[in-house]
Amino acid sequence: MRVVIAEDQALLRASLCALLREHDIDVAATAEDGDGLLRIVAGHHPDLAIVDVRLPPTFTDEGLRAAIEARRRRPDLGVLILSQHVEHAYAADLMALGAGGIGYLLKERIGDVREFLDALERVAGGGTALDREVVAQLVGGRREDESGVGELTGREREVLALMAEGRSNAAIARELVVTPSAVEKHVTNIFSKLGLGSSDDDHRRVLAVLTWLRGEQAAPTSG
Amino acid sequence: MSDVLRAPLRIPVALLLGLLGGVTCTVAWLLAGGGDYWPVWAWIGAGGAVGALVVVRAAWRLRAARARWTAAHVGLGAVAAGVVAGVWGATGGGPWLGWPLLGIGVAVSVHLLLAYADRLPPRPSERRLSARVDELLVSRRGALDAQVSELRRIERDLHDGAQSRLVALNVLLGRAEGRDDLSPAAARLVREARQEAVAAIAELRDLARGIAPPLLDERGLGSAIEALALRSPVAVVDVEADLDGRLPRSVEAAAYFVVAEALTNIAKHAPGARARVRLHADDGRLALVVQDDGPGGADPAGSGLVGLRHRVAALDGTLAVAPAPGGGTAIHVELPCGS
Repeated sequence: MRVVIAEDQALLRASLCALLREHDIDVAATAEDGDGLLRIVAGHHPDLAIVDVRLPPTFTDEGLRAAIEARRRRPDLGVLILSQHVEHAYAADLMALGAGGIGYLLKERIGDVREFLDALERVAGGGTALDREVVAQLVGGRREDESGVGELTGREREVLALMAEGRSNAAIARELVVTPSAVEKHVTNIFSKLGLGSSDDDHRRVLAVLTWLRGEQAAPTSG
Repeated sequence: MSDVLRAPLRIPVALLLGLLGGVTCTVAWLLAGGGDYWPVWAWIGAGGAVGALVVVRAAWRLRAARARWTAAHVGLGAVAAGVVAGVWGATGGGPWLGWPLLGIGVAVSVHLLLAYADRLPPRPSERRLSARVDELLVSRRGALDAQVSELRRIERDLHDGAQSRLVALNVLLGRAEGRDDLSPAAARLVREARQEAVAAIAELRDLARGIAPPLLDERGLGSAIEALALRSPVAVVDVEADLDGRLPRSVEAAAYFVVAEALTNIAKHAPGARARVRLHADDGRLALVVQDDGPGGADPAGSGLVGLRHRVAALDGTLAVAPAPGGGTAIHVELPCGS
């Protein structure tokens, strides 16, 4: 996997590079601001850009906007946004890019190395990786009485949240210490209770769940 | 007075009647063989009546009470002065004319003075006071703006300083944890250290958000309040933000913290209640309503509400707590947000 990193904090940039290189991930280039990100994406053809949301010169959501622009120029680029606080509004901007290949994680998730590398793989492979805090906001934002969330069992809610984070069925089974077929059964129940069409493809299933969580018309998921 | 207005007597008719009266008297005087011109009294009487009618009608067209009564008084004073002058002329003059005119003049002047006292140039003490108030308004606004930017600076310092170092530390600990030359005991310690670092990062994040929510700075009031509603333990069923662009930062911050405190209060005093937040900026004012469907009975003198009231008052705004329609409590806040 070939990645580029846009991060203005030197200390974090260095430790992130070291971490990725230890796990045989090719860090092709790094940048310190949004324009730098666009340059290295154009110059190094990475599979994935890891971008800090807050970059100079404005120190607001410069990184997010640069990442969205980079994605617009290279639609197959995976974009993973890192931030010290996650916001539903930014997740919505990212999800508007559609069709996977997006990630949005709190910076402290990097420390859980195995999960972080798993998230990188998913995003680079066209999947999604959403922080569980964003997912909690998304799930909490749906009104129970009108959305069908109220009909879900506790376990089904856990599976729904993990799906929304972008996990595969196998990963969900590992996390909840149940068998993959049990997860499969929960997923089928969730989709029928929420009125979503089912799909065998993990990525498409995640997108259907996210679309639903955002309160929009679910995309057709057959096939 | 309004009866005079509704009276069927129109001004041209009144004029005609006056004229007719005067002319009739004059004809009678001529038929009687002339002599001392007594119909002058009829002319004076008719003139005074028609003049008074015209003045009252004209004054009634003015909508402001102060202008209406003043105009009526000045006009009637002028008519009275005319009548007095007529009488003076008809009685062959004399030294007395000045006194009634002076009386009328004094009465009208006193009325004018009382009615328009506020237009008089201010006295030196008033001038000093008003200059001081202007100065205080400017410096208070400056202090509030400075406070907002100072809090933002602290949030950024936290973000770039302590929070960043903890994030980097957490990555280092994560790398250490993954090494296979670590004894199981050491690996456990490293894992615990990493969990502590993560907890510290989360606490700092909450602290920074309580100081100056980054989203408020970056996306404005509407987005920040939506995020607040999503994170709140209260079920916020509706956030309606009708805002046209950004507001002054001190107003945004005050409105944000009012909503935050109101939601905290609902969670504490009306658990299980659902809340609704409405924001509407219009005509240089921000109107804000946070409403719940709990049991109601909020104490307007409670410490949380008093703190909010001070915060709102510092921006010349108002805060009112009232029972919401259909039970529960509604907090209404209005903040001026003109430039």
